[in-house]
Amino acid sequence: MIRIFHDTKFDFIKWWRHAAIATIAFMLLGVGSYFVSGSPNYSIEFTGGTLMQLQFKQPPNPEELRAVVGVAAPGSEIQQYGSNTEYTVRAQDRTATEVTSTTAGVSKKVQEALSAKYGKDGFAVVRAEAVGPKVGSELRRGAVIAMLLVSLVTLIYLAFRFEWRFGVAAVLSTAHDVLVTFAFIKLFHIEVSLVVVGAILTLLGYSSNDTIIIFDRVRENLRKLRKETLYDTLNRAINETLPRSVLTHTTTVSATLALVLFAGEVLRPFAIVMTFGVVVATFSSIYVASPLLLWIERKYPRTVGDKAHASATQVRAEPKANTATDRPPRPTGRTAQRPAAR
Amino acid sequence: MSNLKYRVALIVALVAASVWALFPRTVVERVKRDGVFVYDTLRRVPLKRGLDLQGGMHLALEIDESKQAVTDKSDALDRALKVVRTRIDEFGVSEPVVQKVGTDRIIVELPGIDDQERAEAIVQKSAFLQFQITDETRAFDKVLPRLDQIIRDKGGVALGASGDSSNKSQVAALPNLFGTSDSAKAPGDTTKKDSSAVPGLNTGGALSKLVQLGEFAGEYFIGEQDVATVESYLEIPEVTTALPPGKMLRWSSDTLSVGGRVFRPLYLVDARPIITGEYLQNAKPNTTPIEGTVVEFELNNEGGRRFRSETGKHVGDYMAIVLDDRVMGRPPVIQSAIGTRGQITMGNRNLQAAQDLALVLRAGSLPVPLKIAEVRAIGASLGQDSIVKGQTAMMIAVGLVIAIMIGYYRFSGMLAVGALMLYIMFTLAMLAAFGAVLTLPGLAGLVLTVGIAVDANVLIFERIREELDRGKTVRTSVDEGFKHAWSAILDTSVTTILGGAVLYQYGTGPVKGFAVTLMAGISASLFCAVYVTKTFYLIWLARSKNVQTLSI
Repeated sequence: MIRIFHDTKFDFIKWWRHAAIATIAFMLLGVGSYFVSGSPNYSIEFTGGTLMQLQFKQPPNPEELRAVVGVAAPGSEIQQYGSNTEYTVRAQDRTATEVTSTTAGVSKKVQEALSAKYGKDGFAVVRAEAVGPKVGSELRRGAVIAMLLVSLVTLIYLAFRFEWRFGVAAVLSTAHDVLVTFAFIKLFHIEVSLVVVGAILTLLGYSSNDTIIIFDRVRENLRKLRKETLYDTLNRAINETLPRSVLTHTTTVSATLALVLFAGEVLRPFAIVMTFGVVVATFSSIYVASPLLLWIERKYPRTVGDKAHASATQVRAEPKANTATDRPPRPTGRTAQRPAAR
Repeated sequence: MSNLKYRVALIVALVAASVWALFPRTVVERVKRDGVFVYDTLRRVPLKRGLDLQGGMHLALEIDESKQAVTDKSDALDRALKVVRTRIDEFGVSEPVVQKVGTDRIIVELPGIDDQERAEAIVQKSAFLQFQITDETRAFDKVLPRLDQIIRDKGGVALGASGDSSNKSQVAALPNLFGTSDSAKAPGDTTKKDSSAVPGLNTGGALSKLVQLGEFAGEYFIGEQDVATVESYLEIPEVTTALPPGKMLRWSSDTLSVGGRVFRPLYLVDARPIITGEYLQNAKPNTTPIEGTVVEFELNNEGGRRFRSETGKHVGDYMAIVLDDRVMGRPPVIQSAIGTRGQITMGNRNLQAAQDLALVLRAGSLPVPLKIAEVRAIGASLGQDSIVKGQTAMMIAVGLVIAIMIGYYRFSGMLAVGALMLYIMFTLAMLAAFGAVLTLPGLAGLVLTVGIAVDANVLIFERIREELDRGKTVRTSVDEGFKHAWSAILDTSVTTILGGAVLYQYGTGPVKGFAVTLMAGISASLFCAVYVTKTFYLIWLARSKNVQTLSI
């Protein structure tokens, strides 16, 4: 029997300050980059505009191609796409109110210019997309609504299955993942397309999954070992689920890496974001979700009769800030907001 | 024991159903061969591929309110949907999708079509046919000086709108009826002269110097390079109001070549059409030796009666055949009253153009003008390439997951791999059975869920190990392991499915496909990891009565 990380007793939560500093620094870097170099690189699906993917028989000279296309469609971006025979031309006509003018206009002009230069059979347009600005703004709104809705639905479900503290901690940690992933997208100039938004939404699910697995252990251990502090319970839960975490993340990252390396250019941004997201989700379920749960417990202690439990939690979590420990326990009498099915 | 039998029976039944759902069957497909579309019968796995995998066009159409305000958008869109659907059906695409999305958009998906311009023209053409008598009174000639005056007053505005007229001085001058012979001079030059008081500015107005008389009253020729300029002049509100009452100007859809120069005719016609396309009964393309390509049309009885009486009144006049505000061909002279049959000359365009026109005429006119809000065209070769790459990634991902699972969990890992194989099969079968479309992001979702699918197994196996560590028997450990892992597996699956549902609701096209794959994948994974693996264990436990150790 091969066993990795079996029966470990790491004090993960001890490191929460370091983790917080690292992750906040990364997010600030992303925000800073936003102020320095503007909004991230949105695809034409969100901004509106025209995209053409060209496939050449012979590898064209990039400078020459840039010159030819630059004349036909001023202000367009030309990028190599995978192999040296494929290029994308992106023209973002922000003033256009209608797509037809853009499609007929830009893509026709580019095609004419290219056939004059490379001959009609020298290249082929393998993909052409044109999106009106209205559709783009609708999609942006849709993506934001979808993210908020997924968070809300997760929150409600977890509040129902666990209790609201767990739900809030899970959702906040998931929100953290999304923010960090945004910072990553911004810092590494990944194009934000619909598929990348799909990756972020999948990540919302994956990240809360990971947190749920740990919280599920916490829920179980809380039932069994009621004398333990929440701090210890959380640490124990993380350690107990550690083999599972390592193994599952290995298989998931294997799959996403296979996508990065072999699935081609179209899916690469999706796969890169997904790979990064899996790593962040692992990190956050340990170093973000659990400390958050502790923090929420300290701020809003359970109204359970066992004051030892609540105060011990505070002492261990925040040894310096122990003013709250002097506070008398809340009047009991209300039923315990413990997890269901005790 | 009987419990186990039922379990096995259920799994076998589901496997059989999946095999049936995925069994290659005969389909008739429209495929492109040597540049021509032909219907082809072939056997393939009945999985619908999205446009991004098989190539094709996706169009989103919206009501264009820039030309006319639409009061009941939803109703207008419903009627437009019918017309577009009829046209697409006649266009002959296999499995096209034409549907209303929300209240203001129509989505058209044309698998296998890559002639973008043609497809756009077919769905967008409003196909509003009108017959209008051309002006006989030379009314336009009379108002021209007045129009010139207005344009001169408004000079700056008009010129701003016509920036691209700088290269006109190279064109050779032609005799012009109006004022100066220098018809090719750009209007930009005129105002420059105007402001610097160069002599000769009164010899021709900005507009009149670009306009030449045609062959009959009501016909005017504009040099093709001046069309944009003239259009911009005609859009000036004061010019519009100064036009002869009861008349309107219409451009020709064709150009005309005279003495090496290309002209586009402009017609002044009666604003009231003598008849419109609503009486049209049939239209078909034809080729005639004299006129070339034509579309022959037939009017219904009432239309024929009207047409006969109206044309009877206008014998000797010219009649412009106007389609979507453009005059088709040169207006023919009315020799005598015309009845139910007529034809539209297509000028120098080919038979396909005539076919397409006949098609849109038959399908009826659009109740509202539509504009294209979104177009995506993906070549078939790119789609094929994506499939091959997606499959490679899938194979490698599955291979890695199998290696990790068997390497780490040995015998139990093999059981999990068996469940994983069933998982892939069930997921694909579900997609096929529900007619869901497999898109490229969907393919990515499938690869991704392969990585995630084993998670449930990992959770269960780790639990079983814990139970074994506590010194419980193999049988109890397996039982307890499944029991304890269940709550976590259920909670994670439900949250993922909820997320998928939201994604499905708010996603479009390819992303919707991804959401479907994700949801199908998670439900199949839930079943396979928990039910199928448990059954495998039960079979193994039933076969070896006195097991002391479990390879996990």
